[in-house]
Amino acid sequence: MRDLAVRLAALDPEAGAALRVVAYFDELAAGHAGLSAVVRGAAVLTGSPARLTDDRRHLCVRVEADGTSAAAPAAPGAGWLQARVDAGAVLWLERPGPARMVDAVVLERAGALARTVLERTRPLPGHPGADGPQDAALLEVALDAGADPGVRRAAARALGLDPLAPARAVATAGGAVRVAAAADPAPAPAVRAGVGPGGPVEDLPASAAAARRALRLTAEGTPGDPGPRVVHAEAVQALLLLADAVPAGAPPAADVVALERAAAAAPWMLTTLQALVSSATRRAAATDLALHHSTLQDRLATAQRLLGWDLHPPAGQQRLHLALVLRRLHRNA
Amino acid sequence: MTTTSSSAADEAAPTGPPVPFDPEVAAALAALGGFPPVTPDLVPLMRQGLPGRVPPTDEDLQRGGAFTVEERSVPGPDGAPDVSLLICRPTGTTTPVGAVYWIHGGGMVLGDNRAGVLEALDWAQELQLVVVSVEYRLAPETPHPGPVEDCYAGLVWTAAHAAELGFDPARLVVAGASAGGGLSAGVTLVARDRGAPALAGQLLIYPMIDDRNDSPSAVQMADTGTWGRTANTTGWTALLGEARGGPDVSPYAAPARERDLSGLPPTFVDVASAENFRDEDVAYATRIWQAGGRAELHVWPGGFHGFDGFAPEAVISHEARAARLRWLRRLLEA
Repeated sequence: MRDLAVRLAALDPEAGAALRVVAYFDELAAGHAGLSAVVRGAAVLTGSPARLTDDRRHLCVRVEADGTSAAAPAAPGAGWLQARVDAGAVLWLERPGPARMVDAVVLERAGALARTVLERTRPLPGHPGADGPQDAALLEVALDAGADPGVRRAAARALGLDPLAPARAVATAGGAVRVAAAADPAPAPAVRAGVGPGGPVEDLPASAAAARRALRLTAEGTPGDPGPRVVHAEAVQALLLLADAVPAGAPPAADVVALERAAAAAPWMLTTLQALVSSATRRAAATDLALHHSTLQDRLATAQRLLGWDLHPPAGQQRLHLALVLRRLHRNA
Repeated sequence: MTTTSSSAADEAAPTGPPVPFDPEVAAALAALGGFPPVTPDLVPLMRQGLPGRVPPTDEDLQRGGAFTVEERSVPGPDGAPDVSLLICRPTGTTTPVGAVYWIHGGGMVLGDNRAGVLEALDWAQELQLVVVSVEYRLAPETPHPGPVEDCYAGLVWTAAHAAELGFDPARLVVAGASAGGGLSAGVTLVARDRGAPALAGQLLIYPMIDDRNDSPSAVQMADTGTWGRTANTTGWTALLGEARGGPDVSPYAAPARERDLSGLPPTFVDVASAENFRDEDVAYATRIWQAGGRAELHVWPGGFHGFDGFAPEAVISHEARAARLRWLRRLLEA
């Protein structure tokens, strides 16, 4: 029967491609195929060399269109078709677009299966880039300033960190703290997070404390709570001191009371004031708010009347900025 | 070991579920939508060709000038029509080389002499060989012994014309896959018993050699994969008619029936672990050893019948092809 074999490669790449591709990768998944089988499938089904690169796992799997494995001759080309597999891994077809339908379906299916296979066969235990929770007991040790530094280093290593590379803690909304390599990309704004300073893994307890303070300086990014969703402690060191000055239940300063009063007067108030303090000029603030410059001027006139201080001089803006920060510290106490 | 009884399955230990397929070859088969159990009514349809199956052209066979390609009509068996041979000769050599006599597969009922010949050309390109591929008549129109005698007639002519074709007659190897593997084993027995031609080896790729179709692997694998038990019944019945599975089947049709496997040339057998032919092919190699002969056996894990054709890019397909080439190289360069 071999001599009469029907071959995938000989079939019209467009006709029925999606169905064939889905069936192919479903079957690979059912058979618990390995990573190279997935990359090979991508190569065979598209008739193009394919490769998977994974910066975090230091992997490069490359397969020619005939299914043979081969070393990568060069770095991935700028225009190659690609699909993101996870935070560090990318699946490439070694040719430029435009993507045919079969390329798109293969990249989607092979990419998803590659992610599953990587998680199964090469898990990054508790890696900060991974979505799964980090081991609570290990975290407790790594972040315990009272624990022996050697024990903390071992815990950090067990959490997937290179003990010789700078690391940092990241506090996320709800109070959870993770640890990450300082070189890892910052958390996406989808997650509200305070990011501690990078440093030796032995300093992770301090990084975590700073991250928790930085988290208190974050905002929802909504009209009722405007501001940054991700705050890096290193960028706001003076404000971190302020965080300690506003414990839970502390009475709000008069400027915060004034700010709340102004906020109650108009739904645009807080967003407008936040834009003012985070933009270089009023014109830039107007652009950020998609307002006409004169509309912004009208709004600020209303705002300073309600606040009770002039927003034009730098001191007035600084006072507003600190009031906004204090308001967040109260809300996030 | 294959017995002469027709109830091997009953005597064996109970078989388990089908052996799982290798994920890559399974994926290729799934993507093709599977393979139907071949019943006699499907044979005419399959002879018209299948989507995705492209027979090689003359240009494909010439490989950019590496081979000259010709079709020769040579005398067939006594009283039978001539046999057509596809002859591919390497252009890059002037010294005598070896030759592969290729017998195509197709369950005794399908295919032509261009089927599967590209792998033989791969060997030929690597080792400087002449490839001769025989166009034998197919069953059921031509039942046994027509097909094997056609193959033998072409083999005799080829050996007799070694000088003209430019190969060393001491380095003539018979090779084939599936039904072609069965016919290769068959002509090798015929050549041994009739005293000519001398063969340097037989390369049997998952050969179809046992019409009884009732080994534990035949029962176990049933109609999974490609050429399952139903298809095998179709093929053998086409070749043997009512005699299939009975007491009077010639070993030249079904070489597993041969009691004496001594005096054979060096033999290569491969087969997959998840196919009908597993047990009959493993038994054939085993019995050659038991008879004091030379054989090399490869069982590729998780393959179905013809896996390397359906999934040529899979790892086990690459390895299976590499093993055949290595054996040929050792045999012919010795």
